[in-house]
Amino acid sequence: MALTKEQAVATARKDLAQRLGVNEAAISDSTEDAEFPDMALGAGLPEEMSGQMITPGWRIRLQANGKSFEYRANKNQIRLCNYNGQNHRL
Amino acid sequence: MNRKSFLPHIALAAVLILVAAFAGQVRKWQQEWATVRLMPGASKKQDVRDHQEILRDERSLRADVLVKFRSGTSQQTIDEITGRFQDELEDGIESVPGLWAIHDLNDASAEAVVAEYRALPEVEYAEPNFEISLDHESGGPKHLHPIDPRFGDQWGLENEGQGGGKSGADIRAMQAWATTTGSHDVVIAVLDSGVAYDHEDLVNNMWHRPASVQPYQDRDFGVVEDELGYNAINNSGDPFDDNGHGTHCAGIIGAEGGNNIGITGVNWRVRIMPLKFMNAGGFGTTKDAIEAINYVIDRRKAGVNVRVISASWGSTLRSRALDDVIQKTHAAGILFVAAAGNATTDNDKRPHYPASFDNVISVAALDRNDRLAPFSNYGAQSVQIAAPGKEILSTWLGNDYEEHSGTSMATPVVAGVAGLVLSASPDLSVADLRAVLLKSVDKVPALAGKVSTSGRINAARAVGSNKM
Repeated sequence: MALTKEQAVATARKDLAQRLGVNEAAISDSTEDAEFPDMALGAGLPEEMSGQMITPGWRIRLQANGKSFEYRANKNQIRLCNYNGQNHRL
Repeated sequence: MNRKSFLPHIALAAVLILVAAFAGQVRKWQQEWATVRLMPGASKKQDVRDHQEILRDERSLRADVLVKFRSGTSQQTIDEITGRFQDELEDGIESVPGLWAIHDLNDASAEAVVAEYRALPEVEYAEPNFEISLDHESGGPKHLHPIDPRFGDQWGLENEGQGGGKSGADIRAMQAWATTTGSHDVVIAVLDSGVAYDHEDLVNNMWHRPASVQPYQDRDFGVVEDELGYNAINNSGDPFDDNGHGTHCAGIIGAEGGNNIGITGVNWRVRIMPLKFMNAGGFGTTKDAIEAINYVIDRRKAGVNVRVISASWGSTLRSRALDDVIQKTHAAGILFVAAAGNATTDNDKRPHYPASFDNVISVAALDRNDRLAPFSNYGAQSVQIAAPGKEILSTWLGNDYEEHSGTSMATPVVAGVAGLVLSASPDLSVADLRAVLLKSVDKVPALAGKVSTSGRINAARAVGSNKM
């Protein structure tokens, strides 16, 4: 089933709360429509090959513990960019 | 009616009769002019005949459809079929045994007549009688204009300045089609998210494993019934697309031309071998890409004339295993065409794979104004050629059409032109094929120092320059 923007934001918040061990209420978010360079949303994993098509989606910026975190999502997937030096696909 | 109003009414009637007569004469003149345009002896057309090979006999221009009967179909059978359809055999095309120009006597649409013939087992192919016209502005090269309704949106094939573009910033497809519109003997593998092989604009150009070729046998996974292609994700014979990306690429290569449906592929006729290694999200693993490439090499060795792999995907991480298997494709006589990438970066400094491997043609993307697309990677040494790749209309899931951008879209343009070249010169080696494509380019100022040829692929030159 295709993800909505609201679902993507909710999933991202939940994921970050688990990773940081904080309450979701302590996370602030902002979301904007974005175009990503490829179908891995510009956040490919080491073993991945992705379609080289400009892909619309959402850039979800979360803030917690005084730090910023970037998630990228579209109707098919959610990814966390450059978290501890690596991209993650949720 | 009283006497006073009678005379004005008579005068009005006379005027109307004269107007009607004049309109009738104009229509007659128009019909005569239309006939003259199609008749031998019209001077411009004769000029073109003098210096170009004629794709079809001129008499066929007056017919409605062109039908190729299968080898072994007797003249009696052909006569019976056309008689049953109340059609008339207009002319046999001597250079292509079994090919006939057929005139419909019932005023049915060309598409309806084509559908009747295509349904027959005796018929190899049937197509409408396409218009071949002169380039009126320049008196220049002959071209073939498809009847597909959305062709006008395909600026990469024919750029007339639509959408604010630059007229002529295209691959000269219509001029190429005057020489060849492709061949069902040429197989192009679309290594991607699969292909919606039931799409109405693709279905007649899909590859099916010939009965003479044994099913694919993977050493570890066993026999795969690969009638329709190969799915490396689940090692099955069903490569149906659940993303859309592969279907888009397939349409660019070979959406059926001249069927009065949707768009026109670079090849009107070709065989698209669908391969699936990317999932519904549009990404896949290196291992599955390798499995799919291995499949293509195996099918080539089994006798399938697969000559090109179109790879609209990549990563900046180098895999030696992927490199190894791609070099095997080259050794097997298969051209590997790949997307340069969409990170707006220089591949000479930060390579993008598989585009940056040896023996791969790496493709950058152009916009409709002959500018390097703002997202496109480049590389004066590591990217070879550019092709239209921004706002490209092509086939999509659900018998639909969508516009998308990326070096993903530029790559199948080049793979498609390779197919056109092979349709005209089937015995070309992979090295010569590569050379033909790279030497075909139109130099584009924006590409100087950005791609090694400094140019945009030119399909017309490629299909005319293959006697190297």
